[in-house]
Amino acid sequence: MKLIKAIVRPNKVDEVKDALGKLSISGMTVTEVRGHGKQKGHTAVYRGKEYNVSLLPKMAVETVVSDGIVEEVIRAIIQAARTGEIGDGRVFVIPVEEAYRIRTGEKDPI
Amino acid sequence: MPPSAFAQLDAARQELSAQAAGGTAGRIALEHFSDRVDGLVRQLFESAPHPSSDVAIFALGGYGRRHLCLHSDIDVLVLFGGPIGLAGEQFLRTLLHPLWDVGLDVSHQVREREDLAQLDASNPTFLLALADARPLVGSPALFEEVAAFLDATEPRAFVVASLEQLIDERHAAFNDTPYQLEPDVKDAPGGLRDLTALRSLARATDAALLTRLPADRATLDEAEDFLLRIRSILHLEARRNQNVLSHEMQEKVAERLGYPGTSARQQVERVMSDYFRHARSVSRALKFTRRMAPTPVGRNLVRTRDGIRFVDAAAARSQPESWLPLFQAAIDRGVPVTDGALGLIHAEVNRYDAGEFYPAPADRAAVLAFLTPRPGLYARLSEMHDCGLLGRMFPEFAAISCRVVRDFYHKYTVDEHTLLTIRNLERLGAPSRPGRERFAAQLADLRAPELLVLSLLLHDVGKWRDEEHAVESVRMARQVLERLQLPAADRELVEFLISNHLRMSVAAFRRDIDDPEVVRQFAELVGVEERLKMLCLMTLVDVEAVSLDILTPWREELLWRLYVDTYNQLTLGYGDELIDNAQGGLATLLAQAPPHLSESDIRQFVEGLPRRYLRLFTPDAVYRHVQLARDIQPDHVHAVLEQKGAAWEVTVVTLDKPFLVSNICGVLSSFGMDILRGQAMTNPNGLVLDHFEFADEERFLELNPDGRASVLRALEAVVSGELDVAARLRAREQSLVHRRSGIPHFAPVIHCDNHSSRRYTILEIIEKNQVGLLHRISRVISHQGCNVDLVLIGTEGEKGILVFHITAGGAKLTDAGQAALTAELTRALEGNDEIDQGHRATE
Repeated sequence: MKLIKAIVRPNKVDEVKDALGKLSISGMTVTEVRGHGKQKGHTAVYRGKEYNVSLLPKMAVETVVSDGIVEEVIRAIIQAARTGEIGDGRVFVIPVEEAYRIRTGEKDPI
Repeated sequence: MPPSAFAQLDAARQELSAQAAGGTAGRIALEHFSDRVDGLVRQLFESAPHPSSDVAIFALGGYGRRHLCLHSDIDVLVLFGGPIGLAGEQFLRTLLHPLWDVGLDVSHQVREREDLAQLDASNPTFLLALADARPLVGSPALFEEVAAFLDATEPRAFVVASLEQLIDERHAAFNDTPYQLEPDVKDAPGGLRDLTALRSLARATDAALLTRLPADRATLDEAEDFLLRIRSILHLEARRNQNVLSHEMQEKVAERLGYPGTSARQQVERVMSDYFRHARSVSRALKFTRRMAPTPVGRNLVRTRDGIRFVDAAAARSQPESWLPLFQAAIDRGVPVTDGALGLIHAEVNRYDAGEFYPAPADRAAVLAFLTPRPGLYARLSEMHDCGLLGRMFPEFAAISCRVVRDFYHKYTVDEHTLLTIRNLERLGAPSRPGRERFAAQLADLRAPELLVLSLLLHDVGKWRDEEHAVESVRMARQVLERLQLPAADRELVEFLISNHLRMSVAAFRRDIDDPEVVRQFAELVGVEERLKMLCLMTLVDVEAVSLDILTPWREELLWRLYVDTYNQLTLGYGDELIDNAQGGLATLLAQAPPHLSESDIRQFVEGLPRRYLRLFTPDAVYRHVQLARDIQPDHVHAVLEQKGAAWEVTVVTLDKPFLVSNICGVLSSFGMDILRGQAMTNPNGLVLDHFEFADEERFLELNPDGRASVLRALEAVVSGELDVAARLRAREQSLVHRRSGIPHFAPVIHCDNHSSRRYTILEIIEKNQVGLLHRISRVISHQGCNVDLVLIGTEGEKGILVFHITAGGAKLTDAGQAALTAELTRALEGNDEIDQGHRATE
């Protein structure tokens, strides 16, 4: 079982959700985040004054999937979120040791 | 004076003296005596040579109230409809001399109609006397003017305030007690002046107070008659205007009033006992009136402890146009409308149709002014909605009353969501969280924020149907705009905002705002900064009103970034997008052109100007510009100066030359004009169009009939080189009168940018707005050998925001050129006069 954490452009969230939906993945967490990667933001000018836009608004999409479909999920996310420009985001794959359902206390099978 | 008049007055005095001696010269006797003096004045008026203008005589003070005692002053106002002149003086002599000759103490006030135009706060006593003015004889028109003047809110409020102060001062002189052993029946607490004061207070605030006094009307009438009878005896005995009921006089009064008793002392005790009983009634009635008297805040409107209410409910019921001022007064004073007033409107509102709430142009202007975003607007609009007024004034809004639209994010009914957008906007006036100041600055910068509120009020009215609501909202909004008879440009703006109210949230939250094409398309949609700011604010408050947690700081940041990128596209990049043959707007412009303008006239003028030009100006304005540009020759200045609302606009067409912008701005500044906004544009043929909106703070154009011609003449003289504006402007800049104080100085922002435009170096300057700022900056630019093709001028509070599109030798400035320009501008803006002088010497 893996936690897939994708940092994507805000306008790409719906497409990523649709792509995951096609893989029958319906459970996910979407969070508004700010950050920067290698591009480290940029300088903007408003009314003659320069200011640094270092932390860019992004969306984090997190979902836990079984090991067997990890690659398929990663491909789907990349395909949906990619524009080819700097700032398209990242996908992280993190191993999950155990998972429990809070309502019943049951342990999910790995 | 004819002998018969003498005899009549003498007979009247004899009669009053006899009544006073018998202790019966109370109210009725004094009124009768006043009437006979009236007759005398009228007789003199008729026989006097009439002046050239209208004239009217008013009885003031006690005479106005018909309470003339034997030796009372005869207070009169002689009001002239125009300048008094020699004939007027002759008239006054003929009127007043005979009155003095027969021994009447005439105190006269002479005024011209113009004197009533402004309240004379330095003379409260006169205004109080005027409050009792009684028309005697003369021009009915002047009678009506005085009545209208006294009925206006400001004089009434002033009467109340002055009266309160004078009562306090007068009572203090008597140690604030009516229980004086030798009372002044006129001035002491509980005396005749107190009776007059309580009636004046009630009349100026709420006449119904007189029916709720602790003493009934008969008791007060009896007190008044008693005090007047005593006063008449005092005048008779003292043979002068004597009002103190001294120990000696008390005995005479008791005797003349026929008080029983075996001794004078017993008689006096009885009369004084009655005096104190009456004085106590008067005193209590005055205290009650002072405590309960509301403050006049408008026509038929007063402020009470519970809020704003109508004075005369019956009148209010039949005057629906007076209902909005009720809510306006509540906002102005930061208090609610009383439940009683809301109940009245609720009961009556369905009798009236929309147009009846704003039938006249002034009423319609008041509707718009009411919608200015400020604290209290949401609360008052909610009250108006709850009592049914909002829905009757705007039946379109009634269509969404309690309307439920089920979706995953809206948390409130459509009407409440709408009102919350307005609350969110009003709260921007005092930003509550970090990051909001930038949006607050946008709001402060709007030219017509009330149109944004109107747009918000109507943006979702189309949701009464389930289909595409923005289209339906626009259709319904048109009906409102039609009823309000808004100017075409305002209607277009409101329709634009409603029609596109979802577009910015879509672009900011669902598109990639890092994509320049997204920004370009959005800039194309909004066209000009004003619309961009309004749409940005509309989006902000609209999203925020959906639910408590939907507008996160993260989303605000996205919205702000789209705003900044679009703003930069509009202000920095517009010089690259020029009007050409393929421009859609040009074809329409040519098709609708008036017959006196040829196609080539229009093409020659507009082709090559930035496309922005067609977004900024209506076709009619463009045709006027084309007309101005006809047959223009070097050194010619074709200009039009017009008043637009509180501001003025000047449009100048001329041929480009060095220092042109600087000179034009210098001329305006030299007349004390404060440039608020403006554009300067140059077409490829070297034709320059300058359009400036400015405030005439010194009222030069208003006070000088030939002011416009003077400004236009100076423009021509300066542009042609006949006149050097610098010297005149320098004196003004150095004048103490024009130095602004109290504004914290901040370092000027000077920013050069060679990236935003393909053709130009963009120079942005933010500096404290001050007389001659634009002139000084553009002078430096020209001095540096730069050519100014485009200029944008804006103000935000005390800041001037200037954007110049410049070239040097037909190309963008080099790094060295930018550095030199920036350095010289810095010196000029920091006010280094020596350097500035040096520049002049080199020109």
